Amino acid sequence: MYYLSREDFISLLRSLEKSYNVYAPVKKNNQRFYKKFAGDYSDILVGEVRPFEPLKAFFSPGRESVAEGFKPDVRLGEDKPSCVVGVKACDLKGFKVQDYVFLNHDYEDPFYSGRRKANLIISSDCTCAIDTCFCLALGVKPYPQEDFDINLSPVEGGFVVELGSSKGREVFNQHSHLFRKADEDSICVREEQRKRIIKEVDENIKDNNIPLQDELEGVVEEEGETDIWEDEVKTCVECGACNTICPTCHCFLLYDEKDEDKMQRLRIWDSCLVKDFARVAGGANPRPKLWMRLRNRFVKKFNFFPRVADIYACTGCGRCILACPAKIDIREVLRRLVDKKRIKE
Amino acid sequence: MKNPYRPIRAEVKEAVTETPTIKTIRFRPDEEIGFKTGQFIELTIPGVGEAPFTPSSRPSVREEMEVTVMRVGKVTEEIHKLQKGDIIGVRGPLGKGYPIESFKDKEILVVGGGCGFAPLRSLMYEFFDKSGQFRKLFFRGGCKTPGELLYREEIEGWAKRDDLDLDLTVDKADSQWKGNIGVVTNILDSVDMNYADGIAVVCGPPIAMKFATKKLLEMGFKDENIYLSMEKNMSCGIGKCGHCRIGTYYACQDGPVFTYAQIKDFPGIWD
Repeated sequence: MYYLSREDFISLLRSLEKSYNVYAPVKKNNQRFYKKFAGDYSDILVGEVRPFEPLKAFFSPGRESVAEGFKPDVRLGEDKPSCVVGVKACDLKGFKVQDYVFLNHDYEDPFYSGRRKANLIISSDCTCAIDTCFCLALGVKPYPQEDFDINLSPVEGGFVVELGSSKGREVFNQHSHLFRKADEDSICVREEQRKRIIKEVDENIKDNNIPLQDELEGVVEEEGETDIWEDEVKTCVECGACNTICPTCHCFLLYDEKDEDKMQRLRIWDSCLVKDFARVAGGANPRPKLWMRLRNRFVKKFNFFPRVADIYACTGCGRCILACPAKIDIREVLRRLVDKKRIKE
Repeated sequence: MKNPYRPIRAEVKEAVTETPTIKTIRFRPDEEIGFKTGQFIELTIPGVGEAPFTPSSRPSVREEMEVTVMRVGKVTEEIHKLQKGDIIGVRGPLGKGYPIESFKDKEILVVGGGCGFAPLRSLMYEFFDKSGQFRKLFFRGGCKTPGELLYREEIEGWAKRDDLDLDLTVDKADSQWKGNIGVVTNILDSVDMNYADGIAVVCGPPIAMKFATKKLLEMGFKDENIYLSMEKNMSCGIGKCGHCRIGTYYACQDGPVFTYAQIKDFPGIWD
């Protein structure tokens, strides 16, 4: 493990600007957002909790062109790969799902895989928890353990640094003069801090009576349960915010556009809550009712992905809880499902 | 790396009106793509969009293919306007086809309803190309009226073949119709084969597939020997966009042909 002072960290980012577009969180009105940095890093925020936008936006953007006319090219929209700083562990878990969808199949998605290879992830420990954080319930610790290139644990005056990949090691080797070996005290501070945040998230889970993932097996079924879904969906306005804000939701819509001389195929994030999501041209719709579509969202996360990829497709980031204008709370839905199953047994 | 989303340019060679709402389009892609019977393609109308179709043509013809398309939506509306020389796009082949190899030496019953004749035509030609490899071949088809019977002349030709036992029915006859009247499930009992070991292939509107499957199970066909074509909203065609999920499968990637055994426990398969 290494130590990087705050000044040397800024020097590192300035150097990385040559090969990357550098994005890092800033805080506005109690929310954290990714901002593209260049030169001036005075308002950079590395610790705290996950930013507003999910990490997937840097790997499969909300809207991008995937084909132009009949040309076979794969052209990414950005001039340089992204270096994303301050990524939190909950977002890194999102890779497990996104990678499964876009990389590990007969067809690799060249847009996603291109960015996955080129982008640099400089993650960081959470240094606080907010009310909606419940990562521990989904088996995620509030500090990165895998799927990062470089991880920063904020300590007095700088960071304890961990290298997580060969790409991270390469960046380190190129800038080794900025780093020094971490001393025992810094490492101690890091461990204490990690324990403190785990306690905070743990309290969230206890206070809100949130089920742990071990209790989720078999609770979200494709059929059977209707009462909970009909009740939970009452306030849903079918906006799809829960989908777009989610680090694991991956569904997209392909649509074609044509202006005078150019034909383009675009892909945009799609939402399974929207009525026509599964409808076919002939008119048949396997999920005509809104409660069926809300259930489908949960089935996909807590039934489909565990069965096909051995993973719950929720990271406990809590974004959907805050994004939902209908106040549908994923923690509450899961708790109701678990309770009902217990009564049945 | 290949771009799985880009369509390959193709030129329309012929557009044939089959019925007032159904046309067959023959086209030649710039690059030979070919297909295994039962696989599908995404057909692009430049600037309008794309839609999935299972080719209705002979799989052994590699350089050209045909799709038979019912006019039901935005893309199919445009497909019906296509003329010889028009440029379209095509992606594929996608999905898994019929496992023809495993049908060897078996008795096979093919059940078609209405527009479902389209993929089955491709399958029948594959069977004809491999005639002799299967023990016995039956075709039972039904549609609403004689006027809506697809490929009528070709099918009359099939009826003369020694290697095929064929029968048709219509829901509502006209004055010239001399065949059966009623739904397709009514003419399945005349199929003389060992059901317990036989293969059944069904393609048609969901409601027809539902009742045909029920009937086939009653007759004694095994779940794993009934092949169904699932009509789902297949868009990307490569298991990523999420629209065509059936339980733990995606129709585009794992289908669109499934055995009844694969999907029977999932809800809404006929919806």
